[in-house]
Amino acid sequence: MSPILGEINRRDFLKYSAVTAAALGLSQADVVTKVSEAIAASTSKKPPVIWLEGQDCAGCTTSFASALNPPAASIILDTISVRYHETIMAAAGYKSEEVLHATVKKGGYVLLVEGSIPTADRRFCMVGGRPFKEIVEECAKNAAAIIAVGACATYGGIPAAGPTGAKGVRDIVKNKPIINISTCPVHVDHLVGTIVYYLTTKKVPPLDKEGRPVMYFGETVHDNCRRRSYFEEGIVLEDWNDPKQKNWCLIDKGCKGPDTYSDCSVRKWNDGLNFCIDCGAGCHGCAEPTFYAGMTPLYSDITGKADELKEKTRLGSAKQLTDKQRKEV
Amino acid sequence: MGKKITIDPVTRIEGHLKIDVEIENDKVKDAWSSGTMARGIEVLLQGKDPRDASYVTSRICGVCYSVHQLCSAYALDDAFGANVPVGGTLLRNLVMGAEYIYDHILHFYHLTALDYLDIMAIANYQGKDKDLNAVKDKVVGLVNKNDTYPLTPRYEPDEFCVSDPDTVTTAVKHYIDALSMQAKARNMGAIFGGRQPHYQSIVVGGITQLPDINQVLMFRTMLDEQKKFVDEVYYPDVIYFGTDPLLKLAEIGLGGGHYNYLSYGALQTNPPNNDLLFPAGVIVNMDPANIEVQPFDASKVTESVKYSWYKESNPLHPSKGETVYDLDKKDAYSFIKAPRYDGTAMEVGPLARMLVAKNPTLIDLVKKGVKPGAVARHACRAIETKMVVDACYNWLDQLLTEMTKPGFKIHDTDHWDPPATGEGVGFYEPPRGSLGHWISIKDKKIANYQAVVPSTWNASPRCEKGTRGQYEESLIGVPVPDPDNPINVVRVIRSFDPCLACAIHLIDPQTNEIKKFIVE
Repeated sequence: MSPILGEINRRDFLKYSAVTAAALGLSQADVVTKVSEAIAASTSKKPPVIWLEGQDCAGCTTSFASALNPPAASIILDTISVRYHETIMAAAGYKSEEVLHATVKKGGYVLLVEGSIPTADRRFCMVGGRPFKEIVEECAKNAAAIIAVGACATYGGIPAAGPTGAKGVRDIVKNKPIINISTCPVHVDHLVGTIVYYLTTKKVPPLDKEGRPVMYFGETVHDNCRRRSYFEEGIVLEDWNDPKQKNWCLIDKGCKGPDTYSDCSVRKWNDGLNFCIDCGAGCHGCAEPTFYAGMTPLYSDITGKADELKEKTRLGSAKQLTDKQRKEV
Repeated sequence: MGKKITIDPVTRIEGHLKIDVEIENDKVKDAWSSGTMARGIEVLLQGKDPRDASYVTSRICGVCYSVHQLCSAYALDDAFGANVPVGGTLLRNLVMGAEYIYDHILHFYHLTALDYLDIMAIANYQGKDKDLNAVKDKVVGLVNKNDTYPLTPRYEPDEFCVSDPDTVTTAVKHYIDALSMQAKARNMGAIFGGRQPHYQSIVVGGITQLPDINQVLMFRTMLDEQKKFVDEVYYPDVIYFGTDPLLKLAEIGLGGGHYNYLSYGALQTNPPNNDLLFPAGVIVNMDPANIEVQPFDASKVTESVKYSWYKESNPLHPSKGETVYDLDKKDAYSFIKAPRYDGTAMEVGPLARMLVAKNPTLIDLVKKGVKPGAVARHACRAIETKMVVDACYNWLDQLLTEMTKPGFKIHDTDHWDPPATGEGVGFYEPPRGSLGHWISIKDKKIANYQAVVPSTWNASPRCEKGTRGQYEESLIGVPVPDPDNPINVVRVIRSFDPCLACAIHLIDPQTNEIKKFIVE
């Protein structure tokens, strides 16, 4: 079994470097110089990161991999030292588990968790032959910071509505601060920004009562919605085919924007390209602890806000108003 | 009894997979594929508003999200009696087109290429190319700083690994370029999909994004960039590797398996006309010299649970299947069930699609000595990516024509409210292979939901007859000269582009409820 690069003593390192040197086509003299340099530099300064995946869909990983500014490749190779990430790493099997154990033993890493943790039966998620809950508990102990990534890892998400007793990290790890970056999947800006905040300040950013960074989750989607004026007037979209209705309020299509804290309306998604409300689908509340069970049915108004509008707007019901508006245009 | 080794987790795939192999005389003698995570997605859908299904099933997988969303929408369209307007179908196809492009590029470069490259050969690059020297400086810099994660540790390179410095350095440059290209392709899909990952606009009856001309132009501009990358980088890379440095692996047909192939068929090239980009069909016990394609008959699909953690029952059609959870079952070793076609284990995915279509480029490669197996799977992904890029231009042209007609529609608004009762099925061919969603509706709620996904077919355990699943069969005879370094095993498994979150989603441990699915 070969030693693990980055977690080895000097003798091992020399031994390993000799092997590497052969692979690199370097002479022994080169090796000595390089080894001295490497040890003088006391190895890498890049902060170690462990990214665990439990009951996940890899959507948050995919979201992270869609970073273009800065590109994901530069984050992975230049900014952080990804010691363990099942979807990215070259290693597999015992090789990957060795790195995990060595990194945990040394401590001081940033722990990212994607996916929920099953509690009904530990066998619902096994990685490397071990229950995922056990892995999270062990990795949390020596972590410098813990970030729960996405709806499942923060509050249980969609799996929490299912039969496996799926929980978020905050339900498992009790004695440490946990940064919750919700939404399904995680917004890459929220994730990268939070990691950089921590690496810069070595502090947890100010959090709201649900553990979310206030800088991203301080206002509701509704607060900054560009359809807001139509909401106030009670003018709601009824037909996606009608170009006149294209920007009307989606509350009657089940939009959960008024009850959802996230800066999606301002930041949008995918480098400002589009987002849930712009595409006519509405917000489905994926940033909230009550998502998904408390947000269903997704495409119906569950809070009675459309009815409130009927009371509030002097011109009558939202539906009537739509008809009236249509005639006027 | 040979030596038994376990690879757990199999990394650089979607989800949690364990592979056990028994090795005798330096070769795999037997193999077992186990899915080791479950969430119960279908169970949690019971009792919910049926329209939620396309949103929730998207979360079956965060890599291939749009495929479940779309397949679910087709099942809902069927159950609601919705007629998706041509505009809606074209937009759905374009979203799916973007999925094909990013998924195949991501798989080749980021999930599998490291299995074929001795990445440390970069240090020997002596050329003058500025970009390649930048790659060299980056990797050598990482080595000097003693921090080459996540590129190491790894299984050690073997005799099949490419170690020519120019080739490896170029490939790693393409790996880095491709990371941006796959992100851009996904953003391209988000123009009509709303946002990604997990597109937002796909609903029963069509799509919610009423496009404007500028969005069509933006899609086309982004598609131009993708086409350039596919034509000039991805496709040539795959064909070059398959016919030159990896020809030996291709010729021995590493990872062949059962040689049975299935495609449900999908993607109307000119909706509402029913011509499909990927035709449906079945090939059993293929003779490469004379490929015989039979018509696909949906009634011949059954699922066995003999070696899965579900209560014993006879193999049943998914529409009539019963699923009762049993975690302590003797001899069971996977959360994945074992789908069979006419009692036979099948491979689904790019290789199956291109064989069923008798794609001339693939047939040509086969004539050059490329046997159906791991390398051919990579080649087929590249071939069909080119087909999809061309189809996207065609769909954009049709969309522009449709948009300029009066009364242009994207959604069947008359069928938005759930029916009191209904049954629906959606068949689809996403990048990883044949996908089916089944729904039954009672009292305007979901009574039952079931998905049989590509990785269920490919990663299945043995069935009641003891026949291995396709992953398992494809590992038989694979060379493993060093049990500590089973690089060929992961090469074969990754060539299928496994998606384990997709494969497992069925169980109900709390109630042991029997799920019944009835589809006309």
